[in-house]
Amino acid sequence: MFSYILKRILAAVATLLIIMAVTFFLMNAIPGNPFLSEKASPHAIELAFKKYGLDKPLIVQFKNYVVNYLRGDLGVSLKMQEGTSVKDIIFNQGKFTRSIKLGLSALALAILVGIPLGCIAAYHRGSWLDGFLRVVTTVGVAVPTFVLATLLLATFAVKLPLLPVKSGELTDFRSYIMPVISLSFYYTCYLAKLTRTSMLDAINQDYIRTARAKGVKTSKLVLKHALRNSLIPVITYLGPVMAGIITGSFVVESTFQIPGLGKYFVQSVMNRDYTIIMATTVILSALVIFMNLVVDIAYKIVDPRITLTSKEG
Amino acid sequence: MKKIVSLILAMCLVLALVPAMAEEAPFELNVCVASEPETIDPNLANSVDAAMMTNHQFECLMKYELTDENLTEDTGMFNTEIVCGQAASYEISEDQTVYTFTLRDDIFWSDGEPVKAQDFVYSWKRLVNPDTASEYGYFLDHIVLNAAEIQAGEADPDTLAIEALDDKTVQITLESPCAYFLSMCAFPSLMPLRQDVVEGSDNWTDPENIVVNGAYKVTEWVHDSYIRMEPNDKYYDADKLGPDAIIWNLSDSETAILSSYQSGAWQFIDSFPTDMIASLQESGDCFINPYVGTYYLYLNCLKIEDWRVRAAMTLSIDRDNIVENVTQGGQVPATGLVAAGILDSEGNDFSEGTELGALYAWLAEQYPDADLETYSGRCELAEQLYNEAVEDGAWDPDTTVVYNFNTSDTHKAIAEACGEDWKTVLNMNITTENQEWATYTNGLGEHKFGVARLGWIADYNDPVTYLELMVTGQSNNYGVYSNTEFDDMITKAKATLPGAERDQILYDAEKLLYSEGGFPVAPLYFYTQPYCKASTIGNVGFTSLGYFFFQYATQDAE
Repeated sequence: MFSYILKRILAAVATLLIIMAVTFFLMNAIPGNPFLSEKASPHAIELAFKKYGLDKPLIVQFKNYVVNYLRGDLGVSLKMQEGTSVKDIIFNQGKFTRSIKLGLSALALAILVGIPLGCIAAYHRGSWLDGFLRVVTTVGVAVPTFVLATLLLATFAVKLPLLPVKSGELTDFRSYIMPVISLSFYYTCYLAKLTRTSMLDAINQDYIRTARAKGVKTSKLVLKHALRNSLIPVITYLGPVMAGIITGSFVVESTFQIPGLGKYFVQSVMNRDYTIIMATTVILSALVIFMNLVVDIAYKIVDPRITLTSKEG
Repeated sequence: MKKIVSLILAMCLVLALVPAMAEEAPFELNVCVASEPETIDPNLANSVDAAMMTNHQFECLMKYELTDENLTEDTGMFNTEIVCGQAASYEISEDQTVYTFTLRDDIFWSDGEPVKAQDFVYSWKRLVNPDTASEYGYFLDHIVLNAAEIQAGEADPDTLAIEALDDKTVQITLESPCAYFLSMCAFPSLMPLRQDVVEGSDNWTDPENIVVNGAYKVTEWVHDSYIRMEPNDKYYDADKLGPDAIIWNLSDSETAILSSYQSGAWQFIDSFPTDMIASLQESGDCFINPYVGTYYLYLNCLKIEDWRVRAAMTLSIDRDNIVENVTQGGQVPATGLVAAGILDSEGNDFSEGTELGALYAWLAEQYPDADLETYSGRCELAEQLYNEAVEDGAWDPDTTVVYNFNTSDTHKAIAEACGEDWKTVLNMNITTENQEWATYTNGLGEHKFGVARLGWIADYNDPVTYLELMVTGQSNNYGVYSNTEFDDMITKAKATLPGAERDQILYDAEKLLYSEGGFPVAPLYFYTQPYCKASTIGNVGFTSLGYFFFQYATQDAE
């Protein structure tokens, strides 16, 4: 297991380097630059290019990025907070922490609600409850996040002022409620649908029938045998979801005015803020890679029959 | 007995509440004028919202002061005028090229140091220094002596003709007389800065480092959430300041902004969904201020070579339909490129200086039978001009014109409305293409579009700020219009003292822009600035350049 993790970490470094290179050359290939505006003259843009070293050949710029990243220097923002250290923007201004807190809360809610709902629906297959849950989860997957977020905001913050309009820095429990529900609703519904399908597959397996014939209690049958085996596809889905929930929180962060990283990730591309694009991409990629590693390890825990290395196989 | 105990308890409760009621809650004004500013460094700030924030923290030689004129039916919103700010007085040389400002004696930085003439010299030189790479580095070009040469890298920044004669006297020498120089002296890019503060830290605008000379000072900045400013007790007018704190909430979600206002959490907003304007006006929340800006379309002279086609396109746009049904924010159909609110030397609105407006003045002379006052009349002339161009072989009617705009629902709706007008009136083939902002602005410089939108907000109140855009080789002349006669007129106007002669040159220049060979740009409407303000908030200032001033705001009991 240890050598497997070590190999994965080394592969992760190589993957990150490739991601950096692809991101760097792609962002430089798209038209525009960070300094374009109605009033910026070509001369002013030229001066800004010189100031931030963007007048150097691309390969030199890329080399500088890699060297600086190895030193832990992510550079300074070119536009969104001009001149401010990107490291400060992402970490010291709390953007990363807020997005992680919001994302983890949404993920926890999605898991804690979605998986049990899927189990219940599968167990009561064909009943009115199953039908009801299928309608709810289908609607949940179809409703765009911005619609749900706006609806919640208009209802619970404006019409019935029960919750704060601005979630801000997520300092108290009440400020989490609407953003977490908005962000997790899609994933909750999707997980419920996924779990239901997996559970139905598992329930129809011979070993379940055998266990049932042997008189194993229903609750034990579902929780210990069926659920465990039906979790594999769910776990596969959870890895990318974690990163998706953070990068995909743009709408939720905008609607509830949360200064998080998801919003910055999207806006940095719009603004061509090259240093922020690079930093957010690398950080979020690292997160995806890490989550994939966690998922692989989780496979092994859930199903010991799965092998992690070719040697073990 | 029970009754007596209850009575005593009730009285105790009331008495306990009395001191709490007597103690006034601090007046914290929550406003939202934009999302996170790129910077609040006055030399580098390039947006109206950042300028609003710097206007509250720093003060120029001149400043905007509230007058007693209400701009709209909102009795809590007042117009402003330019008066002396950090300067106590000024003298102008006889040839109007040397301005000598004497600073007030009672001006201090927030750390207690006196504001000196050298602080202005440092800031102005920093602005034009190419190493600063300020978007407004050009601002003093051909105004202050040597500014253009410094920006071009041909002269040392120290050669900028601004000098501290002593600690309290600043002298500025201009290239030639400038009618609007005093109003430029109130522009945020020209605020004084302390060299030791700016160069003392990488993040000198952070609350822990910043030193200001204006009414308020940033005390807390939660990035992408809010900026909190509190009164600067060293400011000479500190006793008269209004709010105990101004909280600039930072958001770009119009729905969220409006929700915050409607919930009562925020008292002032100037951005919200356009389709809500009418209902917000009905509820007495929304008012519409005049705003010096023009929304216009570049008609690319390289793609649409014949002026008659450009004129026909300009004439056949139903501007009333656009302002009434598309933008719905009280905008005014444009009658020229120079925005309403720009004044001539007599104080008259420049856009009203010509009968029918500059857009139609030359056509009215050339086509006296045309009815240019009505849309149908303008369409008739448009058809005539277009058909002439087609008959002469100057325009292929099968040509498809590409209309580019940057992604926005409003820009899209305007593009569709104009496209529909051109198809209906002229039977032209139009395709619309939207692009995100960076790609769009990049494309403008490459002149590949047929039609492209842009807006221009004035930096100072003079027609030159608009007309200069169309000078040959000017970087914003995206439609590639070139007319040496027009260029000469602008050069002459810039070097002419304010007065009737200069006014006439500028009126003629705009008329020339819309004459044979012209029509490089089709103005659609003059901007307005809708805003929502709680009725309890009063004494807010506004200048039609787009800045709101909250430092003297008052709060009435609800």
